[in-house]
Amino acid sequence: MKALIPTAESTAGAGMNDATARIAEQPLVWHRTRPISCRVNGQQVGSIQVPIGLMMIDFLHEYLNLTGSRLGCGQGICHACVVILDHPDGSCEEVRTCITGAHFFDGKQVRTIEGHATRNAQGEVVEPSAIQQKFLEHFSFQCGYCTPGFVNAATILLEKLKQQPIARDQVESTIGAGLGQHICRCTGYVGYYAAVKDLVLNTPGLVKDVKV
Amino acid sequence: MAKLDLSRRSFLKAGVMAGVSVYIAPFGSRAFAALFEEKILTPLQWDAANGQAKFRIDGIAKVTGAKVFARDIRATDMPHWPEQQAHALILRATQADRPYTGFDLTLLGGELKPDRIVTAADLVRDGLAFPAFYGEDMLLPTGKIPAYLGHAVAILIYHDFARFRCAKDRLKFHDEVICYGARSGPLERDPWGVFRFVRVGGAQPYADDVFSSLKNAPLFPSMMRKHKPVWPERQEHGKLDEQGMFHAAQIEAELTDPPGDWLVLTRDYSTSSIDTAALEPDNGNCWYDATTHSLHMVVPTQSPQEVVESATAMVAQCRYPVGQLFLHPCYTVGYGSKDHYNFPFYSLVAALYGEGRPVRLANDRYEQFQTALKRHAFKMHYQMAVERKTGLLQSFKGEFEADGGGRANFSASVAMVAAAGAQSIYYFPKSDLATTAIASRAVDAGSARGYGTLQSMTATEMMVDEIAQQLGLDAIEFRLRNTLKTGMKNTEGAIPAGASRADEILEQARVHPLWTQRAGKKVEFEAGHPGQRYGVGFACVHKCFGTGAEASFAKVEIAPDGKVTLHHSATEIGTGTSTSQALVCARWLGRPAGEVNLPVLDWADLPVITSGDPYLMSQAVQDQLSANPRWSPSYAAPASATNSAFYFSHSTREAARVVFTHGLWPAAMSIWTQGIGGGQAAPLVVRLEDARWVDGKLSAAGLEPLNVERLAKQAHALGLVTGATVHVFNRWQWTEADFEINGVVERLPLDGLSLLYGAGATLAPRTHRLTPGGYHVLDRKRVQFPPVQRNNAGTTYYSAIGTLVELSVEAASGQVEVLSHHSIMECGNQISPQLVSSQLQGGIAMGIGHALHEYLPLYEDGPGNGTWNFNRYHLPLAKDVAVWSQTGEVLPPLSETDPPKGIAEVVMIPVVGAIVNGIAHATGYRFADLPVTPQKIQEALA
Repeated sequence: MKALIPTAESTAGAGMNDATARIAEQPLVWHRTRPISCRVNGQQVGSIQVPIGLMMIDFLHEYLNLTGSRLGCGQGICHACVVILDHPDGSCEEVRTCITGAHFFDGKQVRTIEGHATRNAQGEVVEPSAIQQKFLEHFSFQCGYCTPGFVNAATILLEKLKQQPIARDQVESTIGAGLGQHICRCTGYVGYYAAVKDLVLNTPGLVKDVKV
Repeated sequence: MAKLDLSRRSFLKAGVMAGVSVYIAPFGSRAFAALFEEKILTPLQWDAANGQAKFRIDGIAKVTGAKVFARDIRATDMPHWPEQQAHALILRATQADRPYTGFDLTLLGGELKPDRIVTAADLVRDGLAFPAFYGEDMLLPTGKIPAYLGHAVAILIYHDFARFRCAKDRLKFHDEVICYGARSGPLERDPWGVFRFVRVGGAQPYADDVFSSLKNAPLFPSMMRKHKPVWPERQEHGKLDEQGMFHAAQIEAELTDPPGDWLVLTRDYSTSSIDTAALEPDNGNCWYDATTHSLHMVVPTQSPQEVVESATAMVAQCRYPVGQLFLHPCYTVGYGSKDHYNFPFYSLVAALYGEGRPVRLANDRYEQFQTALKRHAFKMHYQMAVERKTGLLQSFKGEFEADGGGRANFSASVAMVAAAGAQSIYYFPKSDLATTAIASRAVDAGSARGYGTLQSMTATEMMVDEIAQQLGLDAIEFRLRNTLKTGMKNTEGAIPAGASRADEILEQARVHPLWTQRAGKKVEFEAGHPGQRYGVGFACVHKCFGTGAEASFAKVEIAPDGKVTLHHSATEIGTGTSTSQALVCARWLGRPAGEVNLPVLDWADLPVITSGDPYLMSQAVQDQLSANPRWSPSYAAPASATNSAFYFSHSTREAARVVFTHGLWPAAMSIWTQGIGGGQAAPLVVRLEDARWVDGKLSAAGLEPLNVERLAKQAHALGLVTGATVHVFNRWQWTEADFEINGVVERLPLDGLSLLYGAGATLAPRTHRLTPGGYHVLDRKRVQFPPVQRNNAGTTYYSAIGTLVELSVEAASGQVEVLSHHSIMECGNQISPQLVSSQLQGGIAMGIGHALHEYLPLYEDGPGNGTWNFNRYHLPLAKDVAVWSQTGEVLPPLSETDPPKGIAEVVMIPVVGAIVNGIAHATGYRFADLPVTPQKIQEALA
């Protein structure tokens, strides 16, 4: 997979490789551009000139060729496009890239769906993340268009539970709070929720009164 | 630009259509992998002990965000494409009651001026037009009234992304860009289709019909007057249609002046237009290479065969020379909305004007609402009669009107199936079902999940529930009395396939705690929840699957090392076809296919030709054409009509079976009979029907278990059958033909067969007149295609499901909360229980949306105006579907030989009726207009 727009530092996140493309972008004058640089899946990206007001999802798709974050609505409703924004203090949050400008991420660190699994030097998946594996085992998805959003939301949920374990009777409501805004049109959520519950209950340290 | 290298090209299978060479590199195939240098499909991991897949064959790619969808593909991902990706958008009219006069792009300014604008004038000049199926005015010429809201008027192409993005943002919601003349009113057109099914049964349900569509004929209008159908005159002894009208009049007269003991209920039902809301919006990325006269298409489609046929026909007529078409159909999702839809052809046209650049055309969600094929809005007028004394249904008269929108698409067929399916699980001695698909200025409607029966069967379930209440009968008891029993006829006069098991579902539902405890729980719940009303509703339906012209190819091969490869004409639309078809191979080959290639469109290893219309041809024409051993009424079906589990599995299973019976089995026998006196087999009676795969090894009658690797190696060494390509056709029954294999004539449920032999084959015909893939094509004998009269059967294959829903209604707000639900389903043998479960759960969620949430106005305020999105079209969330408290069960198959049945559509239907019936239990109000919104409930309870 190739990055679409060559970056100044010729770097790329997981799923990208050195850009070989030389895309002719006509200069924008009235619609101005500004540079952006950020860390995507642990690797530095940029500086890249992009139009002011460009949404992050377009930056990921059209400039980095990371298309796993999916455009569902463009309104921040369906959450298929979410990425994980990592803060310097170690916390993280889910951000909807279809309604968040690319320049918001300037200087920040994000994780996209392409960055979760362990990959070899060729970029091939060697081992899915724990939640990805559970989604596979529970047949959580059909078309898979919403899956990246659920992976990111569930990953954030699990990381939060590591910091702040919950009681057993809070598991279902906590999952609902973490994933409840994500839209799935194929499988009716049951497989996603069951997979997360399975992982939460069977991962040491996430639930206070459960011994794994 | 990288040059398409010949080694890669050699992966592509070629065919020629309309003078255009067609190359297919389907997603997941070796060809695709070569092009993309990626592995999308992983070998199927399965548990040999229970025969189940550990996860989906496409699972890892999807869960890691790999490029799975056409929407993910950019020019730079295609090794042989130019890297400069151009982008396009479509300008659309948002008024359909006045002539379109042009457009004004002044607001874009000079900087965002498109690099190329394509209008109707360009298309006329260059000889480009929609394939006939899609109608006229692909781009609307100036001076004409848009046929519908959202009618395309121009394509704007940008050679770079940044300006495209800015321009698209700038144009958004600026309807003033499109210019119109004075208001003159919308177009008025004849309906897209009108049908009528009249049936009068014999003295008892198993007796011959007096009149029915299958026995006699369906009815059609004799003419249209003011765009309304005019039916033939009624004549008891007249022509068939006149006889039918005579019986229809008799039915009507009886309902108007019924016997004294009859209860006749008359109701009007309606249901909204629905967006399937497939999360991947329509898109395409196409490149026209003028130097080589090549057209490349990356498109999502449920019907790649149709895209090839239509695209080649389109370009064959146009000014741009196209000698080669490269199609890359991708995994997608559509719930019907990407089957025979026109978006790929807009992408094709955009590419022709791309001036050498690949052009990407991709809907955003507003555009998707504006243009994607919708589920039809229906109006239904029902009359049902029941004998009070017995509680037996006597007569059903239904009038159906489906709003097909601006283009015909499958509207006529949907209206027909709605009427044919309306009887659901019940037997009616008499019925008269008239159905019309109207043309309107609404957004086009098509083959959305449910295909008309979601609407019609839900109305039936609402009416049946109300009749039971009026009779003072338990609603499930009333249903049991009236169930269509095995061997009874449907409203078209056909006998459904196999055992009808709806009564088993009803019996289980009747004793389920949700049902038996509903009265007590209502009292208890309402006492504990002031302001809330509690209700339990039930509905049960059976839904047909298939189209009456189901054709498919499958090729199954086993390598010397035992690896199984499957090629199939099916398309993966998210439902797990690639996984399930891999599993189907295990029944005969002891393991699933490790490599799956689909959709495969060109079948050089089994030449099949088709001609004529399978639905309309006469018996004489079919008899004449079938003399050609290569002919079939249809080539390959799209992924639609819930046709994977039953129809696609048939071709896969039969191909695997041939490989087994003529490859692995004789290979095993050759091993078991080794040694003096006939070896270990001699003292035993060994029959093929005793063969069993146990833990991946083949045994029979106590013989030594043999692993598949050893058998495959032996089959290859002996020159036995190691691969089979089959073609099948079904018109509510399977085609059969005789094939001579190894000198023995065998009757098989196929219409085409070719065989691949192991390397040890030395004798003709195994070594002569082979296809490029090394296959020996057999000439069938004594073929028996299903008679064309079966086109009037309506349908014969059904799967059934009943759903109980427990809900509460907040009186003040009208909000409905689904508390729990339980479904009981019958679907034969499950290929993959996990896939069945997720289909059931997903279908129910979609049904809940249909019942309670999803609503689109049809016309000016509706999606055609380009302002609709998920903010005002509520898709069910997890909190809406009782995600933690829902349960489901599947009836055990009658035996391990039951074929798997399609369930993709039926699963979403009963929950709709159950919710409405549950609201009636909760509130006392029977709503007849869907969705049942809080506002409607508030108004009713006010």
